Amino acid sequence: MRKILPLLLASVLLASCSKPAKEAAAPAAGKAAGRVTVYMYSEYIDPALVERFQKETGLAVVLDTYENTETMMSKLASAGDQYDVVVVSDHAVRTLSAKGAFRPLDLPKIPNAKNVMPRFRAPAYDPEGRWSLPYQWGTMGLVYRKDKLPGFVPTWSAVLDPSKQPGPVVLVDSMRDLMAAALISRGFSPNTKSADELKSAGELLSSARTRRMTGFYGSPDSVAKVVGGDAWVGIAYNGDALSRLDENTDFAAPKEGTIIWVDAMTVPAKAPNPEGAFRFINFILAPDVGAQLSNYIAYATPNEASLPLIKADVRADPRVYPSDAELAKMVMLEDVREATTLYDQVWTRVKAGE
Amino acid sequence: MNRLLVWYGELSTTRKLTARGLALLAIPLTWSLVLLVAPLGAMIAWSLATRGADGEILWILTADNFSRLAGFDSFGWTKAYLSILGSTVAMATVTTAFTILLAYPLSFFIALRPPRRRYLWLTLVMIPFCTNLVIRTYAWMLLLGNQMPPARLAQFLHLIEPAAALYPSPFALYLGMVSNSIPFAVLPLYTNVERLDWAIVEAGRDLYSGPVRVFFHAILPQTLPGLVTALILTFIPAMGAFVIPDLLGGGKSWMLGNLIQHQFGVSRDFPFGAAVSLVLTLLTLVGLLFLRRSGEESFTP
Amino acid sequence: MKRRLHPALSAVAVATLAFLYLPLLAVAALSFNSSRFGTAWQGFTLRWYLQLSRNGVVLSAAANTLILALVSTAVSTVLGTALAIALDRFPWPRWMRRAVDAVVYVPVVTPDIVFAVGMLLAFETARRFLGGLHLGMGTMMMAHVTFQISFVALTVGSRLATIGRSVEEAARDLYASSFYAMRRVTFPLLAPGVVAGAMLAFTLSLDDFVISFFTSGPSSVTLPLYIYGSLRRGITPEIHALSTVVFLATVALVFLAQLFSRSPKEE
Repeated sequence: MRKILPLLLASVLLASCSKPAKEAAAPAAGKAAGRVTVYMYSEYIDPALVERFQKETGLAVVLDTYENTETMMSKLASAGDQYDVVVVSDHAVRTLSAKGAFRPLDLPKIPNAKNVMPRFRAPAYDPEGRWSLPYQWGTMGLVYRKDKLPGFVPTWSAVLDPSKQPGPVVLVDSMRDLMAAALISRGFSPNTKSADELKSAGELLSSARTRRMTGFYGSPDSVAKVVGGDAWVGIAYNGDALSRLDENTDFAAPKEGTIIWVDAMTVPAKAPNPEGAFRFINFILAPDVGAQLSNYIAYATPNEASLPLIKADVRADPRVYPSDAELAKMVMLEDVREATTLYDQVWTRVKAGE
Repeated sequence: MNRLLVWYGELSTTRKLTARGLALLAIPLTWSLVLLVAPLGAMIAWSLATRGADGEILWILTADNFSRLAGFDSFGWTKAYLSILGSTVAMATVTTAFTILLAYPLSFFIALRPPRRRYLWLTLVMIPFCTNLVIRTYAWMLLLGNQMPPARLAQFLHLIEPAAALYPSPFALYLGMVSNSIPFAVLPLYTNVERLDWAIVEAGRDLYSGPVRVFFHAILPQTLPGLVTALILTFIPAMGAFVIPDLLGGGKSWMLGNLIQHQFGVSRDFPFGAAVSLVLTLLTLVGLLFLRRSGEESFTP
Repeated sequence: MKRRLHPALSAVAVATLAFLYLPLLAVAALSFNSSRFGTAWQGFTLRWYLQLSRNGVVLSAAANTLILALVSTAVSTVLGTALAIALDRFPWPRWMRRAVDAVVYVPVVTPDIVFAVGMLLAFETARRFLGGLHLGMGTMMMAHVTFQISFVALTVGSRLATIGRSVEEAARDLYASSFYAMRRVTFPLLAPGVVAGAMLAFTLSLDDFVISFFTSGPSSVTLPLYIYGSLRRGITPEIHALSTVVFLATVALVFLAQLFSRSPKEE
């Protein structure tokens, strides 16, 4: 019992010693000079590249990750002055840049920006290319079992239409993405603000909740379910699917069209180390780095100069680099602003099982 | 009024004692008050605000969030919100029932061990609860996977499809919820069971015909305070659960917890999220009052 | 007088206990599986543990978790004990006792998520009107301490109630000053209660996910948040190894706590 007091005392002392250390670690002007804090999706960069950047520049890299865009946006709103580079989805770039969340990119300090493919240089979400430079891009589609469904024609109805679900199916647990699939399936724009169109999409989704629809999953889990045999068709992003397929499964973009997404690198307005941020972005856009990145995470690179260094079979794979005809049917998601509540209400109805 | 009194063997005045007491009480009480009142105040304030076009908050006071919760959204009336509430209450009730059912035998078992060993058993009960919720939940996901023994057994017995996993499913959900709640139920029940007056139970055995009546007439009344605490500590957290329903239930049917979480993540609708949280708080208070009426006054055993 | 439990009920009891451990044991078993995907056994390996020891992100998340738990426990134990002593050892009017009792009770009975949302909104409001107070280790600590105070106060309070007044009164009768009586009589008797409260607070902090989830910031990733993130992206066996390590550490900690809090005069 007498041992207790010294123990408690010791732990209080220990704690008070480490607390100032923790506070000091919080970014403050000047102290962040040797460090770049990067915020992106989890498992979205080759750790070897992080090491290489650290070695080449002598800057430490702190990597923080998020699972979905909305979490990222919340964190950016409340802790934006603690990040140097944030990888942001396309529609979020437009919203956030309008709110002044970003610092304009100092392009002379990013010479490798010239490597970016023309299509991504002045995209709809950032017409002057002031705020962002692309990181990776990809599409969403259907992952399916070839052994159960020979001659499968990829269409959204395979998962959304109760009369056309061939067997157990899984849907993606992401509001905008799944609503997009339903809207496209009904022939509407995935960025619509029309209450009637949204209602129609919602009804389609609710009708998809049959006994064959076994659940809503994130993209990697969707793929795992199909590859593992629990489901015959699932919705997933191309990169997640392609890195996990086996000889019985395949991925395809639905014929009605789908969404194309771009993740872009941005620098928050109050970033503690903007110079470091620019160096990091420049590093990523180097031809060999871009190639190593895409070869590692299996998504498509927006870097023209990296293309020759991408593995030839991947370069020719339409699932990673769709043909121009297919690209014409692919739409980028945009922030629907005030209509978000409408999407949300429809989503709640669908998820509540109505 | 400054009375002279003897308190804990010491002669003193009420004023002096009060001063000393307040000195001790000041910091912790202020902390608790500020950090409990402020959040509640914030919740009430935010629940009346409006979500701006880009997810920011607009201080346009409105009761829209509450009417939406009653089912009146932009598309007319929907039973979605009430059915979310219904699923949550149902899930919490079933969880509580199973938890109590399993907690009673376990409490008795521990209470009947030799006194020196009881600590060991209680520790064993506590250890899984000390491991993190996320770890425990994903451990269930793993155990119920399609290649593991339990699923294989179920496949063999034709209870599920071949190559199917035991999760996500209501079965998996309740396994997760119940295993999460058992330690909370066992500990308060045990404190009562340990001090059980066995004479009454013996008398009951002599007087009544069967073990069931002995339970209801001799045991249950004595364990009532602990039971009420166990009910409170099981039902109320279950009402707010979102991790287990999400990971083990398959996300197919939303609970209140999922609805709340969604507002603070995906839809950036803090005002609506605050409104739902407020309603959940009120439900909690109502449930609490109801349960305390039928139980002991204080929590301390 | 024979008191025994019907064998069927005993079996149920033991089965229940086993069922609490089964998933964790499965994870431990799989952490040695050399297969990267799926759960079919492919051979024994320590590879994942090695990978874990080199994973900087995980180690810093673990450090964050531990620091959070230690600091918040230290603060809340002091505050909670003070609260319990103040409440029990002084003549308060009845209405005040009931009011404070209610305030202490609140974190115990509110669902985690409501508590977390409340904290988040309070911090957000403070941030907008006062500036500063960014989400991070600081806010998580404040949130943890708040609910821990209640649990410590309740544990210590129940111990105080058990001790009763007679011992202290006897000490005072023997001319001990109140301070001396506190130090030599009350505190030693109280110590097991304080340690139990501290242990409870510590484990609640380690176990917490929901509150950390809502009140954390970029540099304050803790282990549970890291694991939850991995669940979304796809579990690697490294996570199994991590979970097993956490589980074993918990076992060790709890047994250590029992050793410390058991005074020889107990039972």
